[in-house]
Amino acid sequence: MGRRIVIAVLVAAAVAAGSGAPGWSAAAPIALGVLTPLSPPGDAAAGQLIVHGAELGIQYINTVMGGLFGGRDGCQRPATQVRLAVEDDSGVPEKAIAGFRRLVSEDHAVAVWGAFHSSAMLAAAPLADEFRVPYISTQASVADVTKRHFAAVFRAHAIDTDRVAAWSGFIQAQGWHKVAMLAENTDYGIALMEATKALIAAGKLDATLEAVIFDRTSSDLTPQLLKFKAARPDLVLNVGVGTPAYLIVKQAHDVGLFPQVPMLASYDFPVRPEYWKNLGPAGVSLAFISYYHPRMAMTALGKWAALEHAKRYHDVAVYANLNSFGDAVIVAQAMNQACSSDPRQIIAALERGRFTNWISTEVTFPRAEGVAWHQWSPPMIILQCTRGEQTYDTTPILYPPTMKTGTYTAPR
Amino acid sequence: MDATLIAQYALAGLVIGVIYCLMAVGITFIYSVMKMINWAMGEFYMLGGYLQYLLLSTWLGPSRWYLALPLAVLGVGLLGMGIQRVLLRPMFVGQGERLDEYATIVTISLTVLFRNLAIVVFGPYQFSPRDYAPPVQVGPLPLNGSRLVAFLGAVILLGAFAVVVRWSWFGRALRAAAQNRLGALSAGIDLPRMDMLAFGVGVALAGAAGALLAPVFLVFPESGAVSTVKGFEIIVIGGLGSIPGSIVGGLLLGLVESLGSVFLSASFRDVYGFGLLLLVLALRPAGLWGERAREA
Repeated sequence: MGRRIVIAVLVAAAVAAGSGAPGWSAAAPIALGVLTPLSPPGDAAAGQLIVHGAELGIQYINTVMGGLFGGRDGCQRPATQVRLAVEDDSGVPEKAIAGFRRLVSEDHAVAVWGAFHSSAMLAAAPLADEFRVPYISTQASVADVTKRHFAAVFRAHAIDTDRVAAWSGFIQAQGWHKVAMLAENTDYGIALMEATKALIAAGKLDATLEAVIFDRTSSDLTPQLLKFKAARPDLVLNVGVGTPAYLIVKQAHDVGLFPQVPMLASYDFPVRPEYWKNLGPAGVSLAFISYYHPRMAMTALGKWAALEHAKRYHDVAVYANLNSFGDAVIVAQAMNQACSSDPRQIIAALERGRFTNWISTEVTFPRAEGVAWHQWSPPMIILQCTRGEQTYDTTPILYPPTMKTGTYTAPR
Repeated sequence: MDATLIAQYALAGLVIGVIYCLMAVGITFIYSVMKMINWAMGEFYMLGGYLQYLLLSTWLGPSRWYLALPLAVLGVGLLGMGIQRVLLRPMFVGQGERLDEYATIVTISLTVLFRNLAIVVFGPYQFSPRDYAPPVQVGPLPLNGSRLVAFLGAVILLGAFAVVVRWSWFGRALRAAAQNRLGALSAGIDLPRMDMLAFGVGVALAGAAGALLAPVFLVFPESGAVSTVKGFEIIVIGGLGSIPGSIVGGLLLGLVESLGSVFLSASFRDVYGFGLLLLVLALRPAGLWGERAREA
C-alpha cells in the first residue's frame, strides 16, 4: 500500500511538472512567439523580414547575452536559452486569433510580437489580455492598438497619428495644398484617412483632401487613378499595403498620373529587394515614409543586428528586420529585469522598465493617457527613390528638416 | 462630369471586361462539355502568370513575351489535361453517382494544393515581368502597353476559340458532347478524350488570362482568387453554359465595376457585380443567354 502511494505521488508529480508551462521551467528553452503574415492576403514579404529579425534576436539572446537570467540584472536564476515559435496570421483577423492561441497554448510562448497588419493585431489583442501574455506590435500602427489600453499589449512602433503628422509636415514644407489619397479598406487605411481629415478640419494642415477608399482585394484601380488625374492634385498619398501598394504605383504610372504628380507611400516597401523587380523604372520618384535609414546612428545592438543580418541573409537590414530584432531583445531584457519567465511578471517589467533596442537606449512603455499607453515611437522620416535600382543607403532624406539630406526631385 | 472622363472610365471597364471573358469562357466551356464546375480555375490563371514570369526571367529573356505566351498557355493546358486524366476521368468511367460532389471536392483540393505549392516554390512575394509594350493612348484613355496586349490577346483568343468551336470537326464534336453525351457517344465520338481536351482548353484560357495580365496585376499565390469569383459571376450573369453569354457578361461586369467605383464608391467595387448578378437573376433566372432546363 505504502509503495503504491509513493508511486502515485511520483506519477502525480511528473504529471504536474509536465502540465505546467514548459517555458516556465529553468532547463528547457523558453519559447518566444512571432505572429506575422507569411502568406497572402497579408504582406507576406514583410512577415519574412520580421521572422528574419526575430531569428537574429534569438541568436543575440542565446549567444551574445548568453541566454536569459544567469546573473544579468541581478537575476540569480540559472541561464536559460530561448527558442522561436512562429505562426502565420495571413494579415487576417481570424487567423491571427487562431495563431495567437496556438502560440500560447501549444508552443507555450511567454511573449509574442511580429504583428504587421493592424486588423490582425487588434483581433488578437483581447486574447493577449485574456491569457495575460505580453504582445508587442512590431509594425501595426493603428492608434487603437494602444488607445484601447489593453493590459498586455505594447508597441515600439509608430502610431498612425505620427505618420499623419509626418506627411502633414512634409506637405506643408513642400507648399502643396491639394492632396488625393487612395486608401485600402482596412483599419490601417481608414484610420489614416480619418486622421488626415481631422488634421485638416482642425486647421493644422492647410490643404484639401480627396480620399478614395478601395477594397483591398481589388486589382484594377485605373478608374480611381483616372479620376485623380483629372482633379490634378499636388500629391497622391498611397495607402495600400502589400500588393495594392505596388499596384497603385504601377497603375498610376500607366495612366500618366505618377510621377508627373508626386506620390508618397505610407510605409517603407520601396526598400525591399523586390521593389525594383516589380516596378522597374515606374518606381522612380516615389517618396515614402520610413523609420530607418542606413546612415542613422544606431545603438550597439542595432549595429550588431545590421552586421549579422548582412552576414546571414546577404542583404541590407531594413526596419522590419531591426524592429522585430528590437522586440525580441526588449522581451529578453524585461525577462531579466523581472527575473522570471512568467508572462504576468514580464508585463509588469515592460511597464516599469527602461530598455535598449536597435535605435534607442530609452525605450519605455508607460501607463500613459490615450494612445501613449504602452507606446514608444521610433523616429519617422520621409525618403525618396531618385533613380532606378537605387540602394537604400543612397536614398535622400526629405523630411524632417533636422535630418534632411536632399530635396524632393521631380521627374525630368 | 466631363464626357472624355466618362469615356475613359467606360473604356477602362471594357478593357478589363474582355479579359474577364477569358476566365468565364473557360469555366463555361468545361461546364458545357463535362457538366462539372472547375473551382480551381483561378489557380490555373495564377499558374499561367507564374509560368510566363519564369519563362521570361530564366529562359527567353524579358523582351520575348510573345514566345513565352503560347508556351505558358500550352503548359497550363497540358497540366490541365494531365489532371483531368488522372483525377477527374475516373469519375466519368462507369458514370458513378454524385459526380458534382466529386468534381467539387477534387477541384477545391486543387485550389489549396496549387496555392500552397506556389508559396513553397516561389515564396509569398509578388513578381512582375517587364511590360510587354510601352504605354499607348487609345482614344481618350492612356493605356499601359501590357494591358493593350492583354486586351488584343484576349480578343484574338476568344475569336480563335469561337472559330474552332463553330467550324472545326473538333468543335462540332465538343458541341455534340455538350448537347447530348449519350448521343455523342452513339455517334462514335471518343468522349473521354473530348473531356480531357475540353478541360485542357478551358484551363488554358484561364492560363492565357494569367499570362497576359502578369505584368499588369502582378503574380502572387492568391492572384487567381479574385478572377475565380469574377468568372463565376459572369457565367451566372450570362447564363451557365452559354459562351456568348459569358462574353456579354464579362463586358457588362467590367463596365459596371468601373463606372460604379468612380460614380458611387470604390470600396464597394465587388458589390456592383453582385448587384448586377442579382438584377439579372431577378429578371432572367437562367441568365442573359441561359436556357431553362428541366430535370427528371
